[in-house]
Amino acid sequence: MGHSLLEALNVRVVGSGEKILVLAHGFGTDQSAWQRILPFFRHDHRIVLFDLVCAGTVNPDYFDFSRYTSLDAYVDDLLCILDALRIDRCTYVGHSVSATIGILASIKRPQLFNKLILVGFSPRILNDHNYHGGFEQGEIEQVFSAMKANYEAWVNGFAPLAVGADVPEAVREFSRTLFNMRPDITLFVSRTVFNSDLRGVLGLVKVPCSIIQTAKDVSVPASVAAYVKNHLGGRSTVHMLNIEGHLPHLSAPNLLAQELRRALPK
Amino acid sequence: MATAAAAGTTISDLPDVILSNIIAAVSDVRSRNSAALACRKWCLLERATRAAVSLRGNLRDLFMVPNCFPSVSALDLSLLSPWGHPLSSASDPALIAHVLRHAFPSLSSLTFYARNLSTIQLVASQWRSAEHVKLVRWHQRPQVAAAGDELKMLFSECHRLKSLDLSSFYCWTDDVPPALEAYPSLASNLTRFDILNPSFSEGFKSDEIKAITKSCPNLREFKAACRFDPRYIGFVGDEALVSVSVNCPKLGVLHLADTSVLLNARGDGFTAEDASINVATLIEAFSGLPLLEELVLDICNNVRDSGAAFEVLNSRCPKLRSLKLGFFHGISMPIESKLDGVALCQGLKSLSIRNVGDLDDMGLIGIGRGCCKLAEFKIHGCSKITMKGMRTLASLLRKTLVDVGVSCCRNLPARQCLKALEPIQDRIERLHIDCIWDSAQELEDDLDGVGFDLNCLDQDNDFDDDGMSKARKRCKYSYDLNMELDVNSNGYGHSVRTWDKLEYLSLWIAVGQLLTPLAQAGLDHCPNLEEIRIKVEGDCREMSRPREREFGLSMLVNYPKLWKMHLDCGDTIGYAHTAPSGQMDLSLWERFYLIGIGHLSLMELDYWPPQDRDVNQRSLSLPAAGLLQECFGLRKLFIHGTAHEHFMMFLLRITELRDVQLREDYYPAPENDMSTEMRADSCSRFEAALNRRQISD
Repeated sequence: MGHSLLEALNVRVVGSGEKILVLAHGFGTDQSAWQRILPFFRHDHRIVLFDLVCAGTVNPDYFDFSRYTSLDAYVDDLLCILDALRIDRCTYVGHSVSATIGILASIKRPQLFNKLILVGFSPRILNDHNYHGGFEQGEIEQVFSAMKANYEAWVNGFAPLAVGADVPEAVREFSRTLFNMRPDITLFVSRTVFNSDLRGVLGLVKVPCSIIQTAKDVSVPASVAAYVKNHLGGRSTVHMLNIEGHLPHLSAPNLLAQELRRALPK
Repeated sequence: MATAAAAGTTISDLPDVILSNIIAAVSDVRSRNSAALACRKWCLLERATRAAVSLRGNLRDLFMVPNCFPSVSALDLSLLSPWGHPLSSASDPALIAHVLRHAFPSLSSLTFYARNLSTIQLVASQWRSAEHVKLVRWHQRPQVAAAGDELKMLFSECHRLKSLDLSSFYCWTDDVPPALEAYPSLASNLTRFDILNPSFSEGFKSDEIKAITKSCPNLREFKAACRFDPRYIGFVGDEALVSVSVNCPKLGVLHLADTSVLLNARGDGFTAEDASINVATLIEAFSGLPLLEELVLDICNNVRDSGAAFEVLNSRCPKLRSLKLGFFHGISMPIESKLDGVALCQGLKSLSIRNVGDLDDMGLIGIGRGCCKLAEFKIHGCSKITMKGMRTLASLLRKTLVDVGVSCCRNLPARQCLKALEPIQDRIERLHIDCIWDSAQELEDDLDGVGFDLNCLDQDNDFDDDGMSKARKRCKYSYDLNMELDVNSNGYGHSVRTWDKLEYLSLWIAVGQLLTPLAQAGLDHCPNLEEIRIKVEGDCREMSRPREREFGLSMLVNYPKLWKMHLDCGDTIGYAHTAPSGQMDLSLWERFYLIGIGHLSLMELDYWPPQDRDVNQRSLSLPAAGLLQECFGLRKLFIHGTAHEHFMMFLLRITELRDVQLREDYYPAPENDMSTEMRADSCSRFEAALNRRQISD
């Protein structure tokens, strides 16, 4: 499975150096989202890049609907890649859902990661009593109905026409990239994303973490960063970027790169 | 196929030699393919006589390269898949080269994608007798090559080179002179040299132009992107212009354009700075080029009062048929009925003028009277022209004018422009207009007083040596334009306009504007329109959501024969993923533009997606893929940008589709390792899936 996985998920290793950095993108984009971050780290890190199985750049036949029902399968993919590359220690940078995947991976294999850098991470996006995740059920439903409309259209041979800009503003920033995949895959993975709740396992994370968040990320309220810091099992620090948006690696790569550099272990 | 029924002879009674000549004369590819399907003999003859092939297909399927075209002398390898891939980094480059050489043993003309030095070496060394080479590269020039190395490699292999086309080859201006210097005998044999390339950030300087023309005295055709702006050191001015004519007296085709112009800037009137080019210089240069047939001087600064130069042009360059000028003022300033300037170039068949700030209706009419054989006329950025002048020009040139383009002329929005062309609406074959919609009220004002009193010169006047007319017969010539207005009126005071011969239509439209007013503006009935080109331009980053859901492509259903479209949203700029709150992603805009495209019965489509300039991304979004997939009759689709595999697979639903390619033919094409949107493997998988299907015709 190892070698074919490396090909299937377009795994690439660039740069040179003794330290290893893994860059993991969020749903709806692919590894090219990191293209403007790479130059800052190529000269002193070997950087591992890959695409999530649901990314548009991966052969859609590889998306096994019976396997990828929860984030565990994505975690397995990540660990397989690192094993196939014979990496025994790395710094992991994960955006959005990949941050979640990183958290789960570090619980399974704490030795593997010397640091986790979480960009735009939220343990649960739905509000709960005493917990402000940022989204109400009603808002999520609107996203799903747009996705369902796309799915219906696509299955029947019509053009899926709902785009990120069609959903309410409150959820738009988070969900806009989700519309960038094949409609059936979008609908399927979105269920996984919107339903995930990691609050209970945060305490099991022993690896030190850096939590990077944008000041005006509509998807991740500021309070979430504090919540995460307080509940993570190991050392953690919070870094706020004074910009808006959920995709700082695309909208403000220079700023993010600086912050990443600060967060990297010495 | 004519059969003489009485005598009972058919075409198959012709001896092979004659039949072979007939088939050899057919150049259109589809016709040749049809001929090849007629019967075995025709197939063999067609294959044996085909002279030019553009090879498509994936390098991985190399064993399928056709061996049946022994007469091919012109080969185009630049469109092989994966597009833009360096041949030299394939798994077995030597084998590829060998197979291609074996299939096409004797080439005189070769076009290929020259991604890097080793590719140039690999390909050029196979066909050392090539006389014409065109290098194609939209990707950035690799850092490793020292200036001129790549061209030197080419010259070292292809000694017999006579014609070199670098107009689509991304390199530096520094690369050219050293290569020519290193191979002086090759340079002096060059008859065609094209370095008119918008990728040069600066354009060639005066010294470089002088050096190049000095090395290549036998040039018949020379096209170069120059730096004319006098604020820059080494700008091309009088000296360089004269040196061109002195060094290359055999020139028949000369195109000199400023690089800023090549990037299609729109604007009108005068620039702040004048060019540093004298009229006297122009006269001297023209005098040195008696064989000139085609001249383009597209510069970026004013040359004032240049009329005198063009009066001379007519006599010094009697073979001149095609002229294109940018920022030359005073080219037609007739006083009363005396023609001057460009209007005296009566041999012209094609005239294109841009940014002539002082050209008014009388000047335009002068051109119409003087250049009486004009078949093609393009005008851009002349703010003083109005509908009346244009209409009179059209009437004057009614017998010959078939190709007209009007853009960026303040007083000629779409409706006015179409009204002005009424006199030739049954003859015109190709048309460009800007889709600038005005209110109907303005039209009402124009209907009165459209007549002009003209003193026209008799058509067969002689012209003596210095271009002035000898005999001037004064005739009172009153032209009542109102005559044609009420024909075909539909009773509402609004006539239905039929453009019988119009085959090709080109439109420019600002981002956010709708297409739907086009029929109302005057293009209601175009029964023979086959091809349309739409360019959408603008910055949608500040714009809010468009009020209408769709741009209006569906209205093109009115043109029943339309089968080929270029939809160019490449100069529409926006955010792909990072729109700040309140602004719209490009996916919304793509949806806006493409809704309705499935209603047209297109067979061929070239599509340029809008771009996110910050990340150099021009990529298909979900609604775009879905909407393109609705074009059921599409046979060929070329996307000038990237698309990822999930979305490419949508296109397999189009049953007739047989030729698809992603061509990132813009500067700079994204390097594969920076943009993973379309990887070689995805490309191969897609093409394999495409080719596996049965094609019904």
